[in-house]
Amino acid sequence: MAFSALTEKYSGKMGTLTIGSGDQAVTVGGQATMPFATFDGELPNKPLIAMEVYDVVDPEWPAAVVDPFKDVINDPIAWAKKNISEYGAKAICLQLASTDPNGENKDAAYAADLVGKMLAAIDVPLLVWGSGNVEKDAEVLAKVCEVNEGKNLLVGPAVEENYKKIAAACLGYGHAVVSQSPIDVNMAKQMNILISNLGLPMEKIIMEPSTGALGYGVEYSYSVMERISLAALAQNDDKMQAPIINDLGKECWKAREVKLTEEEEPSFGPDMEKRGVLWEATTGIDMLLSGSNLLIMRNPKAVKLVEECIDELMA
Amino acid sequence: MSKLILTAAIRGAHAIVDRVEGKINAMTEKYGADKEVVLPNTAYYLPVIYGMVGMKVENLGDMQPVLEKCRELLPELPAEAAWLPYLGPGLDAGMATAFAFEMEEALKYIEGEECPYLPSKEDPEDTDADIWLGAADDIILRKRGVEFVDGSAPGFAAVVGAAKDVETAVKIAKELQEKSIYVFMGGHNPNTGVSFAEQLKEGGVQLGWNTRLVSFGKPTSAAVHALGFATRAALTFGGKEAGDFEGILKYSKDRVFAFVLALDEVDDEKYAAAAGCINWGYPTIADTDIPEVLPTGICTYEHVVSNIPQEEIVAKAIEVRGLKITIAKIDIPMSYGPAFEGERIKKDAMHVELGGPKSFGFEFAYSKPLDEVEDGKFTVVGPNIKDVEEGGLLPIGIWIELAGRKFQEDFEPILERQCHHLLNGAEGILHIGQRDIVWMRISKKAVEAGFTFEHFGTILHAKMHNEFGAIVDKVQVTIFTDDELVKEHLAIARKTWVDRDNRLADMNDETTETYYSCSLCQSFAPTHVCVVTPERPGLCGAYNWLDCRASYEINEHGPNQPIAKGDVTDERLGKWKGVDEFVMPASGNAFESFAAYSILVDPMTSCGCFEAIAACLFAANGIMVVDRDYAGDTPCGMAFSTLAGSVGGGLQTPGFVGISKFFIGSKKFISAEGGIKRLCWLPKALKEASKEMIDARAEEIGIPNLYDMIATEENGTDEETIMAFLTEVGHPCLEMDSLMEMM
Repeated sequence: MAFSALTEKYSGKMGTLTIGSGDQAVTVGGQATMPFATFDGELPNKPLIAMEVYDVVDPEWPAAVVDPFKDVINDPIAWAKKNISEYGAKAICLQLASTDPNGENKDAAYAADLVGKMLAAIDVPLLVWGSGNVEKDAEVLAKVCEVNEGKNLLVGPAVEENYKKIAAACLGYGHAVVSQSPIDVNMAKQMNILISNLGLPMEKIIMEPSTGALGYGVEYSYSVMERISLAALAQNDDKMQAPIINDLGKECWKAREVKLTEEEEPSFGPDMEKRGVLWEATTGIDMLLSGSNLLIMRNPKAVKLVEECIDELMA
Repeated sequence: MSKLILTAAIRGAHAIVDRVEGKINAMTEKYGADKEVVLPNTAYYLPVIYGMVGMKVENLGDMQPVLEKCRELLPELPAEAAWLPYLGPGLDAGMATAFAFEMEEALKYIEGEECPYLPSKEDPEDTDADIWLGAADDIILRKRGVEFVDGSAPGFAAVVGAAKDVETAVKIAKELQEKSIYVFMGGHNPNTGVSFAEQLKEGGVQLGWNTRLVSFGKPTSAAVHALGFATRAALTFGGKEAGDFEGILKYSKDRVFAFVLALDEVDDEKYAAAAGCINWGYPTIADTDIPEVLPTGICTYEHVVSNIPQEEIVAKAIEVRGLKITIAKIDIPMSYGPAFEGERIKKDAMHVELGGPKSFGFEFAYSKPLDEVEDGKFTVVGPNIKDVEEGGLLPIGIWIELAGRKFQEDFEPILERQCHHLLNGAEGILHIGQRDIVWMRISKKAVEAGFTFEHFGTILHAKMHNEFGAIVDKVQVTIFTDDELVKEHLAIARKTWVDRDNRLADMNDETTETYYSCSLCQSFAPTHVCVVTPERPGLCGAYNWLDCRASYEINEHGPNQPIAKGDVTDERLGKWKGVDEFVMPASGNAFESFAAYSILVDPMTSCGCFEAIAACLFAANGIMVVDRDYAGDTPCGMAFSTLAGSVGGGLQTPGFVGISKFFIGSKKFISAEGGIKRLCWLPKALKEASKEMIDARAEEIGIPNLYDMIATEENGTDEETIMAFLTEVGHPCLEMDSLMEMM
């Protein structure tokens, strides 16, 4: 008798999200199977990696993420262009770190203007990420949406305390939103319900379930994302059928293991670059294996490693 | 609908449609049917007409079919003899009015005619000859509409007519502005020719979109721009299609919290316009003595409310429209936040002590009808902070009067219990206890900063609106510090507390149709669901049935969902059809059935938060309960921590179940297996703390000395030893049906 493989059939399917407009629009999500289990169901869109650029860089960054951008690190637009032309970035995530009230505290008008210039300069989809300050993000991201109407940016993170302002602006001006929740399946679902109640459809929402880097809670992110995927696929829970994004670059590159020198911790060895690249790449692959559709990453070598891995797993 | 209003509205609508038809015909004669008619910079043509019936009006000729539509909608005037009040024809007349008004307004923009409106401007400037803005373009709509979606603007007030004087106009506008409500102005007093917008200008108030005081136009027809705005909001933000009038009107009613303030005389035209607004779900509140339309149906609550003095009209309008107010900043001289909740105030830092062991104090919240509570009124009766010397002592009574459209008596204790957490959030206030054991301290620093007892009211008012806005519309607070008055009110409160306790005690599972789920713990126990019934509180002890119900009313998407219990499938085990149907998907398809009263057959899952664990002792043929605070060994062979590990995590573990301590005193406590009669072992501390509950139940089941027959760790921590004790005292569990056989 011929061998016939058992397959798992799911009643649900993850939704899709499209970022960017016109020819450069890219779609993620839409899988009807658990990560890379192509034998069980359809996996129509490859996971996407957005390379991040900062409008201000923390002086504490390790050399491994400064050196590749040395010539452009003070110019986010040039940095984005370099990411695209030299490192093959398929999407850019602009991290608006300078708007943090505890830092340079730049205003919303500045951010909106910078996003406009970035849009004009690049030909890949753009993600715009706030500083993480709940109140300031609401103000900054709402302005970014208003000034750049119709560009179908992906903006975030929107959290329970500020989602109304950010999601309403996305709805009013034609953008998509990142719905962020604190490593909790129920909260993730509740955020999706709250945002869609404002009138934003599910296909304009992507979930960020809070990303823990390798060694810093990666297993929690894994569990939550796996459960989100199962709820979406096996239980056909339509409020869980938004694709998943992970903002992992900043989590990885602040890890102690990435920053320590050989003098400080001899057992870690001398090659700090390799250590950092592997830390970020491993985290990225972990996220993909737990159901991620979109990764935000920093180091070009790490991005390359993860992309190779995606290609192999999709083959 | 009141026949008087209906008749007036229909009469008004006929007159308006006639008039507008005349104007359209005159214009068509002058310019030809091809002459373009557009509102400034909008993709929605004439938005009300486009939204409601999908007709695109682009030139004068396009207006003819709309006029026909108006004629179709216009009902006959009701005959004198007809006595049936009926809303339908009035609504149709109102819709025809809105169409006619919108066309009348659009005619003003015809090229070649003199336009009374400022061209596409957000604010009229001092240099402008006039103050009228006319229709909003799409840029303004988008910018302002976003505020309606994100809640930073709760709604708009369409003000037609004029206030009795400039001062009152300014006061009404300020009051609306303070609540972030947009004021859309159209229409004027037909007798004096004065309009609300002109009054504001005279009062030196800046008009325009930026101050949220939008002067659309002087004739009543200009008020249609408010409906145009609402309709475009539904098309833009609600994703509604043109022509989907049902969807658009429902969106407007549910999402755009608007109402009409009809100031001074209401003529036929204004009646017709008001009828139009009811279609969108916007009620009219009038200051004159016009007939009211109180029964609810289209609008959330009443449709037309009249005879409200101009001084009170804003408050009334908010109530009638069901608008929820949030208070951005708590207006007290100290900081407020969770960081201060754990703050201690030592004796030497204290200015005054309130209540507590050396005096007496209480807090009490109860509800009253809406018109008997004045929102935001705070009164102190007795000495205030300035009257007490440093280190002083006063009795305290915090008397909270609540009102709300959705408020239920059962929510009273829940809100009352919030006082502790809400007042403690203020820097310089220490609050301990509840009900009649309240003890507070106010720090010297707070008093120096300007704290007075009224600020208790400020805090409770702001926080209750913000956190419980779904059920609370009005909060009034009185602080008693006078000895006699505190005692007098405490007596009233005590009587109510007794009633409340009895009410919950009287509720039972049989007569309650709706139970509540709690899936708060699914974050770490994914398959766990609590089913909370009146007689079975959540296993954590923190959520009883009333708490779950209130939580659902406050946040309908939260972790507590109503469960229609449906038919009983097993009375002894506590199984219902509706519960099982709910549990299956809610547990991620992990469990098919829950028994609320059994420890052996399909017991409820346990997360990890249980206050106590009940476990079968098969040799003794009884049940033991161990709580979290007891660390020692138990007769089932496992200490609490070990037991918790095997029972928790969202599993059904026959023979074990996580419970709240309070459940021990319930008639339904493991009643499938014989209930409290089986209870044969408790940790000593838990036993003593539960004495009253156990005695009461023991009395009911006719074994009054049951308490003395329950073993504790003093009698033994293994089954063999306690068996000897149970046999000696003759515990009833020994004679009961075999637990083994019940499995």
